[in-house]
Amino acid sequence: MNTLLRILVPRRIRFEVQVAVRHLLSGGGQTLLTVSAVAAGVIIVIFITSLIFGLQERLTELLTDAIPHVTVTVEETEPRPLSKVAPSPGDLSSTEIEQQAPQLKFIDNYPAVADTIRRLPNVREVAPVVTGQAFVSKGANPVGVAVVGADPELQDRITPVTKDLIAGKFIGLGSDEIVIDGELAKDLDVSNGERVRVTSGTGASESFTIAGIYSRGQGRGSAYVTLRTGQSLFGLGTKVNAVYVKLIDIYDADAAADRIMALVPYEAKSWTREFPQFLSSLQVQTASAYLISGFSLVASGFAIAAVLIVSVLQKSKQIGILKSMGARRRQILTVFIFEGLGVAVIGSAVGAMLGSVIVILLSLFKQPVTRVGQAPEQLFPVRIIPFYIAIAILAAILSTVLAAVLPARRAARMNPVDVMR
Amino acid sequence: MATIEQSLDEPVRAARERPRVVVETRGLRKTYFGKVDVPVLFGIDIKIHAEEFVAVIGQSGSGKSTLLNILGALDTPTEGTVLINGVDISTLEDNEMAQLRNDEIGFIFQFHYLLEEFTCLENALMPLTIRDGEVSDADTQHVIRLLERVGLGTQLSKRPDEMSGGQNQRCAIVRALANRPKIVLADEPTGNLDSRSGEEVFALMREMNRESGVAFIMITHDDRLAQEADRIILIEDGLTHEISKEEHRKRVASLTTD
Repeated sequence: MNTLLRILVPRRIRFEVQVAVRHLLSGGGQTLLTVSAVAAGVIIVIFITSLIFGLQERLTELLTDAIPHVTVTVEETEPRPLSKVAPSPGDLSSTEIEQQAPQLKFIDNYPAVADTIRRLPNVREVAPVVTGQAFVSKGANPVGVAVVGADPELQDRITPVTKDLIAGKFIGLGSDEIVIDGELAKDLDVSNGERVRVTSGTGASESFTIAGIYSRGQGRGSAYVTLRTGQSLFGLGTKVNAVYVKLIDIYDADAAADRIMALVPYEAKSWTREFPQFLSSLQVQTASAYLISGFSLVASGFAIAAVLIVSVLQKSKQIGILKSMGARRRQILTVFIFEGLGVAVIGSAVGAMLGSVIVILLSLFKQPVTRVGQAPEQLFPVRIIPFYIAIAILAAILSTVLAAVLPARRAARMNPVDVMR
Repeated sequence: MATIEQSLDEPVRAARERPRVVVETRGLRKTYFGKVDVPVLFGIDIKIHAEEFVAVIGQSGSGKSTLLNILGALDTPTEGTVLINGVDISTLEDNEMAQLRNDEIGFIFQFHYLLEEFTCLENALMPLTIRDGEVSDADTQHVIRLLERVGLGTQLSKRPDEMSGGQNQRCAIVRALANRPKIVLADEPTGNLDSRSGEEVFALMREMNRESGVAFIMITHDDRLAQEADRIILIEDGLTHEISKEEHRKRVASLTTD
């Protein structure tokens, strides 16, 4: 022990290190208590941040997974009064510009548009699609539904269908096949493999085989067909009427939409503008996540400090004794800085390890499966975030050292007899 | 040449003949301020010379410990000056004060105040460890010899809780002497020991005083020990009175017959 001290510690601080190490080693239960307090503090912060930010991630995923982050469409001309319309050179005039039916607008050079968008920063996926309203019928009762025509593989990367399938397939969809929502299947009283008739808003009517049934658990969703089928169903020829874009950073959607609009002559709408209520609920969630993490950090900091302060106050007498033997104030403070550091480093290392283990164990709990064929999800959506572990460790070290040094400094300032009594 | 040597020798010889003053107080006052201000010392003027063994006696609460703590720079006077080796300690910075305590003064308290985490030898070496960070072999040998002198040669690696009260107090005496101080201040060093260990501890202190020439200022309630000192200072009503051993004996006799 002493030889180790001689090798590792410069002579200038050897007294301080020696006393600090001895305090910790012979402290027994006291040392164990303070180390446990630090560990517990770190565990709590790691646990809470991983839970709250995991929850945050799950909610974000849930809200933004099923929607495109940016939707590119032909600009819709809003109805406006004649007085606002710039007078045209001819004599032609109209009292109003009517809102056009959505199916009539199209993006004709969509491969070029998709390529342009794909090259922009932060863009993860681009899918040209055909969307429109249609009636699906089996026998006599037609049910209205939104139909999306897209390449199944691209579609899966924008708003996934395959992962929510409860029957059949989506990838490899044939031109006369359709994938429908479970709710719709129930309304129509059809099952996988049966045939249904789809009549589009433009009047085209085709017969499809149900190739797959999916369920997202979010009410009735769209019906999916291939891009080519969609084009013929809505009479778009070789054109599409929307391009869906998925981003890497979803909070950059507004800027991404602006970048797209600068390059292509179409309207790009970000999810934050299209679904402002999603954004606001995510923002509330984010703010409370930071708030809760912050409070847990402060609370565990105080808990650590409380335990440490008591243990240092118990050593006040010893501070007096050391001072009576000629120890300088700086030497005494250094003893307690080292002691605090020792407790903090060991405690936070133990805490970080145990905290991670607890989080990993929690992540193993699965939710009971409510839908057939669905992969069970984590009961606690925890995420281990190294950044917050580092923050927890830093905060623990800081509060430990402060809690060790402040009372020691006070004791070291007093007359030795006052603390020895 | 001869005259120069003579003139150099003169003050040295004079100093040898009359030991120099190591501790001196001038008009020392101490009041404890609180809800009620308690004046304890009312102007103390004392001089302690090198090599002296001084016993300080007085009633409980008469201010003996207060005086001793002020002499050792453990407490600050309300008024007046303390000179240690001719230096006014009120002029010292915090670090200089620490160095003074380390170099010049050794303390022995009623309780041994050894650090319980350290062994007997480590405790005795503590003032040197504080000073140097690492104790030289020569200093270690010196301290081990002192520990052997006080009969702790076989207890070097024992911790305070593994030794008897007398052993701990003897270790504390060695600790007070480890830095070869000029003054040892002892506050009832035998007060917490049975009379046999008390006498042993006292005898050791007296021996150390005679061998090394360290001045001892010892507070005691034990009148027999006071009789063994060179001088007796009585503190009464916040003032000091130098009393002869004869007077002291009479006082003791009158008190016991009362």
